[in-house]
Amino acid sequence: MPPKRLRQLWGKWALLILPLGLGLYILYPTYRAWTLENRKAALQASGDSVQLAEFDQLYGAALQNAKQNALKLGLDLRGGMYVTLEVDVVKLLEEAAEREAIDDLFRQVLEATRQEAERSDEPVLSIFLRHFDRIARPQGRSLISYYDVGDLREISEEKILERLQRNIDDAINQAQEVIRQRVDKYGVAEANIQKQGTRRLVLELPGVTNEAEMRQLLQTTARLEFKLVRNNEEAVRAFSAIDQYLKRQRSGQSHSLTPPDTLQAQPAAPDTLQSDTVRSTSDTTTDPYAGLSDEERQRRFKEDFPFTSLFVTYYIQNERFVPVDYRRGEFPEGEYFFQIPKANLAEFETILARPDVQRLIPAEYEVALSAKPDERLQRQGYEIYTLYVLKREPELTGDVITDARATFDPTTHAPIVLMDMNTEGAERWARITGANVGKKIAIVLDGRVYSAPVVQTKITGGRSQITGMSSVQEAHLLEIVLKAGALKAPVKIIEERIVGPSLGEDSIRRGLLASVVAFLLVVLFMVGYYTAGGAVAVFALLVNVVLILALLSAFKGTLTLPGIAGIILTMGMAVDANILIFERIREELRRGRSLRTAVDEGHKRALSAILDSNITTFITGLILYFFGTGPIQGFAITLMIGILTTLFTALIVARAFIEILMAYDIHLTYGLPRKWLVAPTS
Amino acid sequence: MEFFTKANIDFLGKRRVFLVLSLVFNIVGILVTAMFGLEYGIDFEGGTEIAVQIQPPPEVGEIRAAIGAAGFHGAEIKSYGRPNQFLIRVKESSGQTEPSTAILTALRERFQDRQLTLLKSDKVGPKIGAEMRLNAAIAVVISIVAILLYIAFRFEFIYGLGATVALVHDVIVAISAIAIVHHLGLLRIEVNQSVLAALLTVVGFSVNDTVIIFDRIRENRERHKGMNLIKLMNLSINETLSRTINTVLTVVLVLLALLILGGEVLQGFAFTMLVGILTGTYSSIYIASAFVIWFLEKVRKVDLEGEYRRLKELERQAAVQT
Repeated sequence: MPPKRLRQLWGKWALLILPLGLGLYILYPTYRAWTLENRKAALQASGDSVQLAEFDQLYGAALQNAKQNALKLGLDLRGGMYVTLEVDVVKLLEEAAEREAIDDLFRQVLEATRQEAERSDEPVLSIFLRHFDRIARPQGRSLISYYDVGDLREISEEKILERLQRNIDDAINQAQEVIRQRVDKYGVAEANIQKQGTRRLVLELPGVTNEAEMRQLLQTTARLEFKLVRNNEEAVRAFSAIDQYLKRQRSGQSHSLTPPDTLQAQPAAPDTLQSDTVRSTSDTTTDPYAGLSDEERQRRFKEDFPFTSLFVTYYIQNERFVPVDYRRGEFPEGEYFFQIPKANLAEFETILARPDVQRLIPAEYEVALSAKPDERLQRQGYEIYTLYVLKREPELTGDVITDARATFDPTTHAPIVLMDMNTEGAERWARITGANVGKKIAIVLDGRVYSAPVVQTKITGGRSQITGMSSVQEAHLLEIVLKAGALKAPVKIIEERIVGPSLGEDSIRRGLLASVVAFLLVVLFMVGYYTAGGAVAVFALLVNVVLILALLSAFKGTLTLPGIAGIILTMGMAVDANILIFERIREELRRGRSLRTAVDEGHKRALSAILDSNITTFITGLILYFFGTGPIQGFAITLMIGILTTLFTALIVARAFIEILMAYDIHLTYGLPRKWLVAPTS
Repeated sequence: MEFFTKANIDFLGKRRVFLVLSLVFNIVGILVTAMFGLEYGIDFEGGTEIAVQIQPPPEVGEIRAAIGAAGFHGAEIKSYGRPNQFLIRVKESSGQTEPSTAILTALRERFQDRQLTLLKSDKVGPKIGAEMRLNAAIAVVISIVAILLYIAFRFEFIYGLGATVALVHDVIVAISAIAIVHHLGLLRIEVNQSVLAALLTVVGFSVNDTVIIFDRIRENRERHKGMNLIKLMNLSINETLSRTINTVLTVVLVLLALLILGGEVLQGFAFTMLVGILTGTYSSIYIASAFVIWFLEKVRKVDLEGEYRRLKELERQAAVQT
């Protein structure tokens, strides 16, 4: 090789070798991670724990390192869970309002807002304001009627709106932080959590297989509250009032032309507990249903007591549970106990959710259900939940919790979660327990009562515990959410995609096969048609594919299945640039130009067409990136990277190759018969 | 190897016939699409969809019974890729548990003795679905407008218009093809995000051929000043024909590989691209260029056709004389 030529050509050689070398260098960790993973998987499959430990010791760090720099695979290829969460702003608006101030008008506004927000993209606050202006304002209400103003000197609607807006903005940021902590503590490797717009979080959780648990982990608000139990005569009187109210309403309805109420049409749930009560009470009083069949008796009972017939009420007398008969209408002072079968829960909750019913319950009280059915009864085959009437204002909330630990109760061996409080919380807890010895305090998580122990003594030191979990796993989840803290606003899953590992593997296999076959087809065609020139194009294509993958890896992009499709498509389109150039060169050759001029002219004249056609595709790629989600964005990215690398490889790398060949007097024919080649005039 | 050394085909001589044919095709396509309807994927429709593999495979009726018992009536059940893989789709239900969990539990109970694997599960809320539909429409419109502007900027406004008409034509043909193939049951293609991606890529790619022909027309206009435009366009199309065929061939080859080997997920994408690329090539000749001529003749009142006929007559006479 003449050294002079090498000196002239070193730049061109560099163009040939450097991009390819650099690309392969960037992709090396991907290859390394892949081989190490395979070896590890093989060891795991063989079950040889000694060798596995040895492998971890030898290659653990290297594998970790390689994985960090390896090309990331999208969820559709590696399997996992993709979730879009949305902050429930309506709920936030409801909770920000003063509890005592909430009335029917306000509830109407919220309901209208909720319905519209389901479908609309408009900011929820403006939807809310519109409905507020329409429904509540004509009735003389203003925002000040419902929201606490804080500083009395500055009472204005603007201030309230400003604060609500701030709450909404904070909620999404706080949710992102809390959910990141939860996901981290749950142990999802390489989870990706991003904000989307102002209300949404997008989560990519690779390798998650227990989707039910994940859902629970994400959607739990984790609002922990300690509330006083108020199962007293006042509560029972309120229940009785609901009975009368509903009965009045229903009998009024039956005279009108409205169809019979669906609740009434439902047959009474055949529930042993309930009928027991009916019978036991019917013995003591003059029975208005005397002489009726059991069935008819039940029906009449349900008609007369539409609300309280759904559950059983006991009066606690000397630690004995005495069933309460609502027909008597007199309720002694003291403590009561309520149980409700699972079958009646839906009906119970529907009735209770009605604003007109809510009004009958004293404002400072609320009704809550136990989180789990009663364990003792469950063992006998019944699913019976406990009902609690609680003081609405919590005595203490979960933000005083500093640490939580899932463990077992030493005596019962049931799973429990132990909690530690900060000093302020501990002081208040001591005061609260001290003032309520002998009374019940409910531990409420997200509105469900986990346990309601009787306070035995004043508790100092800020220790408390939650019982009532059905499994160790649940206790573990609770530990995580308590540690990460509560969400300021509830979130809900609005989109969820799960790809099982087997489908991911299948997709990789198919994608690889399609890529290889597509590449071979292009090679066959290009070499067949343009002979040696085609081989140059194929080399450029190879560099192209390596560069696409390398750039994707270097910019921490992810390779998705549509992304693979994008690469395959790029293979087909990339040679277009070479084809354009080669066809131009052929044309010039046919016109009788020398090879030198033909190559120069061919490149020069093809340039504008190549640029224009690639820019138009790039434009659509860009639009796709902004309008697509997840995997489709992966496609758009590979498409765009592919266009850039195509321009580089076809215009620069392939050109350098041709120039080098020409410098060594190797003259490509570009598939034309040799006769068209004019001997180089030198 | 060479396919077309000295192609000299009078592409634009019959342009009226093709323009009318294309117009008829498009109208029929729109009607057929409206009649058969498109099947939207979960992305655009909302609801819950799960794909499972059950080995050995049960009858579809058995699956329907199992999930019907769990309270999901009117579920759509189809085969998914392989004979032992099934796709189950339900509308959002009012039940308390997640539909996907409920269905999976029901299936596990019913087919205890068989091997059941969850392949994938998608849940899309109604709002997201509606948003995605809207976004898809916006994306297609924006990309067409962007390309109109780009071509108008790089060439002339009528050329941009011609390219855009060709694009709209290609998108309509591709969508109609999906509707027809799906209706006839040849391929199960539902319109989802990948199909949208394919449509947008068709928009980007099909304009490639047009751009390359327009580029040649621009160049030839300089080279052969004063040449009749129809003749000039014919010349340009012929000169670029070899490239057009070769590029389309390579793209068609890779798309065929993708269609046949790429699996269920990419089938809709590959098919849409394939149809789009082929019509894109056709439309760059018979729609984009023909539209420019039509526009100049009808709107600008330039008598290109008359001139072209006279030229051809002269050429014929010259040929007879020699």
